[in-house]
Amino acid sequence: MTAYRLGQGGRIDRSRTLGFTFDGTALSGHPGDTLASALLANNRLLVGRSFKYHRPRGVVAAGAAEPNALVTVGSAGRREPNSRATMVELHDGLRAESQNRWPSLNWDVGALNGFLSPFLSAGFYYKTFMWPASFWEKLYEPFIRRAAGLGRASYHADPDRYEKVWAHCDLLVVGAGPTGLAAALTAGRAGAEVILADEASEPGGSLLFDSASVDGQPAGQFATQILAELATLPNVRLMTRTTVFGWFDDMVFGAAERVSRHVSQPLPGQPQERLWRIVAKRAILATGAEQRPLVFPGNDRPGVMLADAAVSYARRFGVGVGRKVAVFANSDAGARTAASLQAAGINVVALVDARVGHPAAVTVPRIFSGGVVSGTSGSRALGAITVRHAGGEDRFEADALAMAGGYSPRIHLACHRGGKPRWSDAHQAFLAPEGLAGLTLAGSAAGARTLGECLSQGAAEAAAVVADLGHTGTAAQFGAVDGDVPEGSVRALWHVPGGKAFVDFQNDVTVKDLGLAVREGFSDVELAKRYTTTGMATDQGKLSNVNAIGILAEARGVSPAEVGTTTFRPFYTPVSFGALTGSSTGHHFQPVRRSPLHGWAEKHNAVFVETGLWVRSSWFPRQGETHWRQSVDREVKTVREAAGLCDVSTLGKIEIFGADAAEFLNRVYCNAFAKLPVGKARYGLMLREDGMIYDDGTTSRLDENHFFMTTTTALAAGVMNHLEFCAQTLWPDLDVRMASSTDQWAQMAIAGPLSRAILQVIVDEDLSDENVPFLAAKTVSLFGGQLEGRLYRISFSGELAYELGVPAGFGEAVADALMEAGEPHGICAYGAEALGVLRIEKGHVTHAEINGTVTAEDLGFGRMVSQKKVDFIGKHMLEREGLVDAERPRLVGVKPLNPEQSFRTGAHILAKGAEATLENDQGYVTSSAFSPHVGSTIGLALVTRGPDRHGEEVVIWNALAGETVPGVLCDPNFVDPSNEKLHA
Amino acid sequence: MPEFALVSRPALPHSPVGDASRVRIEALPEGHVLHVLAAGGRDITPEQLASLGDGTAHAVRRYAPGQWFVVGNEALGSKEYREKAARLGADAAVSDQSHGRVRVAVSGSGARSLLAKGCAVDFSPSVFAVGATAATLYNHIGIHVTRTAEDGFELLVLRSFAQSLWEDLSVNHGEH
Amino acid sequence: MASLIRCPHCGARPKEEFTIRGAAVTRPQPDAGEDAWYAYVYLRDNPMGPFDEYWHHTSGCRRWLVVSRDTRTHETYGVRDAAAVAGESRS
Repeated sequence: MTAYRLGQGGRIDRSRTLGFTFDGTALSGHPGDTLASALLANNRLLVGRSFKYHRPRGVVAAGAAEPNALVTVGSAGRREPNSRATMVELHDGLRAESQNRWPSLNWDVGALNGFLSPFLSAGFYYKTFMWPASFWEKLYEPFIRRAAGLGRASYHADPDRYEKVWAHCDLLVVGAGPTGLAAALTAGRAGAEVILADEASEPGGSLLFDSASVDGQPAGQFATQILAELATLPNVRLMTRTTVFGWFDDMVFGAAERVSRHVSQPLPGQPQERLWRIVAKRAILATGAEQRPLVFPGNDRPGVMLADAAVSYARRFGVGVGRKVAVFANSDAGARTAASLQAAGINVVALVDARVGHPAAVTVPRIFSGGVVSGTSGSRALGAITVRHAGGEDRFEADALAMAGGYSPRIHLACHRGGKPRWSDAHQAFLAPEGLAGLTLAGSAAGARTLGECLSQGAAEAAAVVADLGHTGTAAQFGAVDGDVPEGSVRALWHVPGGKAFVDFQNDVTVKDLGLAVREGFSDVELAKRYTTTGMATDQGKLSNVNAIGILAEARGVSPAEVGTTTFRPFYTPVSFGALTGSSTGHHFQPVRRSPLHGWAEKHNAVFVETGLWVRSSWFPRQGETHWRQSVDREVKTVREAAGLCDVSTLGKIEIFGADAAEFLNRVYCNAFAKLPVGKARYGLMLREDGMIYDDGTTSRLDENHFFMTTTTALAAGVMNHLEFCAQTLWPDLDVRMASSTDQWAQMAIAGPLSRAILQVIVDEDLSDENVPFLAAKTVSLFGGQLEGRLYRISFSGELAYELGVPAGFGEAVADALMEAGEPHGICAYGAEALGVLRIEKGHVTHAEINGTVTAEDLGFGRMVSQKKVDFIGKHMLEREGLVDAERPRLVGVKPLNPEQSFRTGAHILAKGAEATLENDQGYVTSSAFSPHVGSTIGLALVTRGPDRHGEEVVIWNALAGETVPGVLCDPNFVDPSNEKLHA
Repeated sequence: MPEFALVSRPALPHSPVGDASRVRIEALPEGHVLHVLAAGGRDITPEQLASLGDGTAHAVRRYAPGQWFVVGNEALGSKEYREKAARLGADAAVSDQSHGRVRVAVSGSGARSLLAKGCAVDFSPSVFAVGATAATLYNHIGIHVTRTAEDGFELLVLRSFAQSLWEDLSVNHGEH
Repeated sequence: MASLIRCPHCGARPKEEFTIRGAAVTRPQPDAGEDAWYAYVYLRDNPMGPFDEYWHHTSGCRRWLVVSRDTRTHETYGVRDAAAVAGESRS
């Protein structure tokens, strides 16, 4: 084969030259070229090696279906493996490399696999690499992966930006070939909002190489004229380089736009790719039809390609695919191809028509009626072909072979929502399922066979859609089509017997493999696919599937209708992870929630920790502190001895209004709330319907019909959803309304024996114990009436403590003022770590204990659960046997016998002297910390009959960490068990 | 502590991004945001709602059945808030969200396409006219969006998410 | 990739805005007895075909909805406000 640039013709810009490299060799092409056309123009025929046998392979197609010409484009973070050379637009400086070869494309060691091919048949992997099992992971799989891999991914970070966009339209037209253009024009003129999407860089589809003319204009010029009119319609949006890859539920289509892949790097501000989610009222698939290869011995030799691809290279790209081109067809497409190539000045040496009695209307030196190509030869490219016919066999020189095996409508999208394709004997192809709501097909995608049919169908379908949507318009009319050559009758020719004939080029599946699958019982199409791997490569069998079905049908002696197809699923062609991820990467992976006291914490040198989406201050190192424990111990001691200020703004906060708000709370909490007095806060426990604890927090009654609830940080959103569920679906008759106010309030805990004195500096009201007793909740005036806040006398640390809420924007100023007021008293900022130590020292639980498996009784809250209330969430499951079992693990404190020893959360509790077995497991440590107050590690644990065993010696066992620590069970309230400090 | 200066720290201390002829992103003054919640079965008239506003167009924004936001540039003192909250009596509760939600304006001929990079809502004027509102997502962040002009939108976002929303908008602003 | 739910209050929105809770089962009366409560908390049908579920429009109007959909095709053929549905079943 000798491919070459034609002296004239094509839609390339011959006035400009672009330089590019292939495997390091400098080559050139023109704007308008794809990498494939430019390689052909440079007579680069060998572009890749096949997956399994490493056979030399050349370009087969001119579009998205290309199975062979997979190359790696770009370098470093922009390295894109498995790019189809037929879809890569040539640009200056493009660097492309071949794949799956070593040491070089021309001399590839893996090609030795070809000699082993008798052993590499269907099911080879299943049969060969089964035993011993341990060999699979260490030996077989790595070897197979290295030998049979495609391109390699880059280890560099992708430097480019990707984005996701939503779009809405009345009509989505997929494909801007003749059918799509006619449809878009019709709908656009009628005033409908139209999106016309096409995967190619230049819209026009087959018009860009069709030799027919419309109304006396060459096809290409006709396309230009329609595009010019579409450009004047503001309601029509043309999206090129955009592959509509999937049809999803509710008329949402996914599309990938390759915004910048045609240049070496994105223009400033432009993303590399854009993922579209298009919501369309209606859609027309004008996706055309895929020409099928013919399956004959030696059909994978570089130089053998699809007939339409050969014509496209000639007429669109100005490339002759050979000096001596032969054509092999099973329909009139053969004569049409020969004529088109000749018209472009290409030497056609033979026309092989598999049918008998269809005289060709072209003049070609050799015409074989009723002949088939039975063999090819040539070292790394085609040199000669053998034709078998009624009179025997002829062998002659040919350096390119254009094959036309019939057309398969591109119906993929129409099948993405579960519809099954229908076989049509008349078309010798599968057509789209019928009765697709909202989506219709037109043109060759619907089985049309001529340009004239495509134009009229596209216009007619669009006219019907716009009328249905309430627009007025008529189908666009076009002049007469001249030079339209219908395919005529198609002879079913699924394969030509003889040597190695490839069905799936990319996965090296031959006719023989399919035959073996049938003989071995894998004749069902889904089984045959997996057994032989046909259709499982990156091209998803666009060229191979229908041929494989035809061959299976023949082998089974049934119609292709009975074999059926495998399942069509998105994506139509591969979509990059970048596009699917959009802008949610790195720093923007997920939103970050910042507390209104973030700036205050920064000023105090906070170390931050991510908890869910929140960034919380964890501890506040001071000068000289080199270990977090030094800071945390200091903060804990300061709170116990003086005072501390902690940011608790991340707790969930919910305003609850309504005449029935008290009744509502009474039903969602297991303890009583109906009679909570105005101005009081109460600790509340929410259960799930299965009786386990869901969440806890305090709720304050600010007014008769106004409550303020706090939730844990972790379940803030969940509790809000839960309350809304209860209010809206369970008890819609109650007058209760909820507003989240988590973000409205900067909330700070001021804790410690000196907290009252410090707070009194900024609060105008008297804070004496009489006026603001334990569990008081009230609105207070601050700074001489400059500001209002909400003050709650509640404590998580067990110390005299308050929580003060102020409008978020003022949070930092108020915290600053409190730190200033507290300085003489030795106040410190304390973070989430110290808060954790303080609460463990007091035996207060968090979600470390409320882990979905505990009841109120388990945590010592048994007496809180109302016995009087008729109903509350979780009441009705509480009496179950397992929930009242005396042996249940329950909350208890634990500490080491030797204060020098420590243990960790997760360690298990064993009875003293018991063997470490599952049967002897008595529970586990749920929280642990070093307690400066106790002087050792302490823990909270859920231990069987825990509260009855205070003082009992146990073993704290942690096999993962290799720690076995003698310990003792104790009261979980390690500090001030009589709560005198709390009530001070 | 009479010397205390009541300083509010803005959630979005940023200068506007972009140019008004294409797309401009601007943090609006942290004035007032009132969340109105009608009592079950009570109809709140547009006049009642308007009486809570500052008289400017689009001050009242529908949020959900029986719920609205009333927004404005002026900050309200506690007294003013309480006075407004009392106006609807038992018909509705009014929750002060003036610090809980932050407003961002997105304007210009490219505003719609910038919003389309995060929102699934159809913003074509025939569907989403001036005055229309929607509670929805911008990527992963909940927003309440109002069309205030042909080429103008206001986004209301929870304060803790405001910085992330600003960054998302700025990143997507790139090419405009 | 996407599904759209037609919220009766907000219009068509992508499923990302919603939180799905599962079968729209009715909470028994307090005195319904152990079996009824056990069934409510633990027993669920897994129908092939029409199915009513509770969906919460979390990132929209925050209303709980009853979405009726076909588990085979994902076609939704009814979305109603759950409070309205609760009202109907009561009357």
